[in-house]
Amino acid sequence: MSSKFGLAGGIPERRVRPIWDAVDSRQFKSALKLSTGLLSKYPNSPYALALKALILERMGKPDEALNICITAKEKLHSHDAIHMDDLTLSTLQIVFQRLDRLDLATSCYEYACGKFLNNLELMMGLFNCYVREYSFVKQQQTAIKMYKVVSEERFLLWAVCSIQLQVLFSSGGEKLLQLAEALLKKHIVTHSLHEPEALLIYVSILEQQAKFEAALEVLSGDMGSLLAIEVDRLRIKGRLLARAGDNATAAEVFQKILELCPDDWESFLHYLGCLLEDDCCWRKEIINDPLYPSQLVDRPSLLTEETFDSRISGALSFVKKLQTETNNEPIRCPFLGNIEIERRRRLYGKANDGELIEALLEYFRRFSHMACFTSDVEMFIRILSHNEKLELLGKLMKIFETSPTTPIKKLGQSITVFKVQELIGSTFSHPVVELENNVIQMVEMYCGNLQLSKDLDPQENMHGEELLSMACNLLVQLFWRTRNLGYLLEAIMVLEFGLTIRRFVWQYKILLLHLYSFLGAYPLAYEWFGTLDVKNILLETVSHHILPQMLTSPLLSDLTDLLKEYLKFMDDYQREAADLTFLAYRHRNYSKVIEFVQFKERLQHSHQYLLGRCETSILQLKQTSANFENTEIILGNSNFDRQLLKFSSEDECKSLTFNDDLQSRPWWSPTPEKNYLLEPYNGGFFCQRESLQHAGGRQANVRKVIGRRSLLPRLVYVSIQSSSENIGTDGSIMDNSSSPELKHLLERYADSFGLSLDKAIEVILRTAEEEKSIEELGPETIDWMNFAVFVNALYLCSNQHGVLNRDGQRASSWHIVDRLIQKCISERVLHAQPILTCPGGDLSFFVQMVSETCAWHALIIQSCIRSLVPSGKKKKKVGPADQLNSPLLQSVCTSIESLHSVIESVKTWIDEQIGRPEDQNIDTLLSHLNVEKCDEGPGRVLGVLKQVSASVDSELGERILQAFQTWSYVDVIRKIVKGQHTVLSEFQRICDSKLKLLLSLKQSISGA
Amino acid sequence: MTTIRRFCCNDLLRFSLVNFDHLTETFNMSFYMTYLARWPDYFNVAEGPGNRIMGYIMGKVEGQGESWHGHVTAVTVSTEYRRQQLAKKLMNMLEDISDKMDKAYFVDLFVRASNMPAIKMYEKLGYVIYRRVLRYYSGEEDGLDMRKALSRDVEKKSIIPLKRPITPDELEYD
Repeated sequence: MSSKFGLAGGIPERRVRPIWDAVDSRQFKSALKLSTGLLSKYPNSPYALALKALILERMGKPDEALNICITAKEKLHSHDAIHMDDLTLSTLQIVFQRLDRLDLATSCYEYACGKFLNNLELMMGLFNCYVREYSFVKQQQTAIKMYKVVSEERFLLWAVCSIQLQVLFSSGGEKLLQLAEALLKKHIVTHSLHEPEALLIYVSILEQQAKFEAALEVLSGDMGSLLAIEVDRLRIKGRLLARAGDNATAAEVFQKILELCPDDWESFLHYLGCLLEDDCCWRKEIINDPLYPSQLVDRPSLLTEETFDSRISGALSFVKKLQTETNNEPIRCPFLGNIEIERRRRLYGKANDGELIEALLEYFRRFSHMACFTSDVEMFIRILSHNEKLELLGKLMKIFETSPTTPIKKLGQSITVFKVQELIGSTFSHPVVELENNVIQMVEMYCGNLQLSKDLDPQENMHGEELLSMACNLLVQLFWRTRNLGYLLEAIMVLEFGLTIRRFVWQYKILLLHLYSFLGAYPLAYEWFGTLDVKNILLETVSHHILPQMLTSPLLSDLTDLLKEYLKFMDDYQREAADLTFLAYRHRNYSKVIEFVQFKERLQHSHQYLLGRCETSILQLKQTSANFENTEIILGNSNFDRQLLKFSSEDECKSLTFNDDLQSRPWWSPTPEKNYLLEPYNGGFFCQRESLQHAGGRQANVRKVIGRRSLLPRLVYVSIQSSSENIGTDGSIMDNSSSPELKHLLERYADSFGLSLDKAIEVILRTAEEEKSIEELGPETIDWMNFAVFVNALYLCSNQHGVLNRDGQRASSWHIVDRLIQKCISERVLHAQPILTCPGGDLSFFVQMVSETCAWHALIIQSCIRSLVPSGKKKKKVGPADQLNSPLLQSVCTSIESLHSVIESVKTWIDEQIGRPEDQNIDTLLSHLNVEKCDEGPGRVLGVLKQVSASVDSELGERILQAFQTWSYVDVIRKIVKGQHTVLSEFQRICDSKLKLLLSLKQSISGA
Repeated sequence: MTTIRRFCCNDLLRFSLVNFDHLTETFNMSFYMTYLARWPDYFNVAEGPGNRIMGYIMGKVEGQGESWHGHVTAVTVSTEYRRQQLAKKLMNMLEDISDKMDKAYFVDLFVRASNMPAIKMYEKLGYVIYRRVLRYYSGEEDGLDMRKALSRDVEKKSIIPLKRPITPDELEYD
């Protein structure tokens, strides 16, 4: 193309190069100057225009850039086509893309391709445009055209991928798959296939149509040799055979894989599944979560007893053979396989249960010193009965006590025994003193073995680090059982001590951040989260450790940063995702094309992403709510809340994805659905980690929350619009336009409670009238309170004054809101404990009430006042006496008074706490630790730490001894006190600003 | 207990326990995706029972003529699965692909000069220090360029150590 039409869009390269250089080195001003010079010489050159637009866009002038791009586009369409090359088009494309106008870029390429038929370079550019727009049909058509021009394998595969994407993302794709198959077949006849990835796609097209035999044939033919790694080929073969129902041959294939890779656990499961003909993962009706694909078979095999026995004995002897052959290598699969065989026997009802335990014991004998022992066998231990678990534990301990080994291995084994105890939850039935003893044993074991690590590099994990995490979990359990704060403080001490010895232990940091959050010391939690260096994709998977508590904390500025960073990552990724897909096309990794598009869909529908978007808008409102004008400006932005409304649509909520990785969460860490530590001790119920990940309840709850929160900004907007637009200065209600929307939004909101609007209103009415207690509203109390505030706005602009109560009387909706807020705050604050000694208490509830419910209500009040008491130029000709007599204004005044007094009561609660001297707070916390007397209860563990850190034993090495010297438990306590103080001060600031606002509103009314 | 297979996008959502490790960098998305899009055979993950991610390796193949080589960009193993030679398995796999599939001359990698445990491990796997790259890591710490010759480099020319250290701008490939 360039040779035909000259270089660089018809402009000599030497004139253009300096401009690009300036752009690349971010010298935009000089780039602009050069580009203006260029344009004076080539005023009609679309390329010169595109360059200028590119510079302007980079300089932050999107409107000017767009105008110039459009001019360039028009010139392309009208001007002598001599300058229409890919360089011009791709430059324009870059700018259009950055301006979010992919459609314009596409239309440029469409035009060019129409003008210069069969130009491959332009067609590729057009194909790329369609990739960016996710227009799979047009991608397919363009690729086919290219294929027709040059018959290259890659273009055919581009078309086939586009077909696969259509099938994946729309219904009724069977015919399309046939088309793809036919295209490939025809090509193979004349050209065969030359890329391994092309073969994979061909196989998958056949597999998707259940043409397993055909796929197998392809694989075993000449083209099969394209897959250079034999195991890869065998894995596909095994899968196809199993899906075709040929279990016997499939089992042979998986057996072969195991002979080549004896440690391949997944293949072992497939091998056994095919042998026993019970492998569920191939069955079509099982829809696996792609994040957690294979699960253990949970239905018994349907084979006859005789066949079953013979197959099992075949499997056993194969496993024995593998064990013997791999005896000198650290290979665990054949031994774990043995356990799985016993489990399958048991599932079939044929087992002597002792065998399963015996297989586990054998595994213990061999691998108990390894850190992964417990996670290897976790799935097997879970299926044992309670008594079996205890029996297993007893036997493990016996083996442990009698097996002679090296100190490092012994330590590993001890840790394993503790981990198994933790896994089966046996400690929950231990008496408190015994549990304390366990903790002390763990901490002493950690300290006693420090010398084993003295020669390790500081970057390396030290031996026995898990002990302190387990000690922490036991201390938390002790707190749960006794409500004694001292145990929680000791848990913190243990972890802080561990981090003093080696500051890289992320497991301790996660535990600490949850402990500090529970204590309301959010700045410390946030700080530890910061040290985890969570960035990029980890923001999606592990922000769950910090985000929920920050959303209800008063640290609004830290929350802003957190949300901003997360959303930036997600938005940046969405923006570049398609270009990365095109990269996979270009490099002929077709299977990755499909994977990339699916992954982009997955992240786009992330529940956390949608929630993050909602909460960012809500946060902005919270931060500006003291300034009515600013709030109005934000709300007036048409994009502000309309997009959010889409999130709560049924389709969006159905397709939500849950990408958070909950593996690192301790069982006791609170989730929005469950906080064990606030509930009474349930005597041994043990929370299983899986239940967090797969909890259906959790997902349903998240859907409700997103549904509700996404409505909130719009509700605020419509509420204040309604109240200001529909109230006459004399308090009369005018014809209203917003209230149908308000009503509709409230219906949706009520729906998220599972109620009709009327029923939901009845709930708040009954709560206000004392027929129902606030506690009955449960964890959704704040949502109910916000609902009540918006219901008031609804009644405010309807002609029915007030809500109909049970006696058929109309109750003032103002009064209802006032009453509810009083009940939630004033009455609760009377009994509220200081956060210093009462962790997990009322703080976050009060924060939400003040920064949300009260804030929204205050906005509605301001909106009413503006109508009732216009100021300045807007002043209407109504006498002050009329206004003051208006019942509405009186309700408003009462409401202001009421709000002021409840917030004042919260502030008093905060002031009392802030007013206490720091040293006094430190002493209070220390008193929970019985520092001096420590025969029982909290303080014993701290005693051990104090004793150890005083050591000068040179056997421990310089590094560890130095760490001891920097350790101070009083410093830790001081940090907690300071952290809580910061939180209270931030909350105090929020309350102050609300009080100031209410005071000024009072004055504005009395001064009118 | 290791199923080694190609790394896929969904693994990005499950590797947090591996990446919490302070020496394991969590790159931006285009970095991972570029590796997946260009060198999928060089990006592998080891999975254990219960679909747990044990560790992974990412790498690429690049260069001209006799410097056509495999490169290890990152290799990491979760705390729980250390001390069982998993990194060795992953490295061997990458070496195998470089050697047999791509017919490369050598495999190389960069390591912080202070990361003694890693350097020792690579040495055990047959890597030698080919050269020192001054201030390679964020302009502060030196990096060591370590190499292991593959079967195509019969005379092992690729691993004859350079006498003098180089600066990052002298590197042929980033």
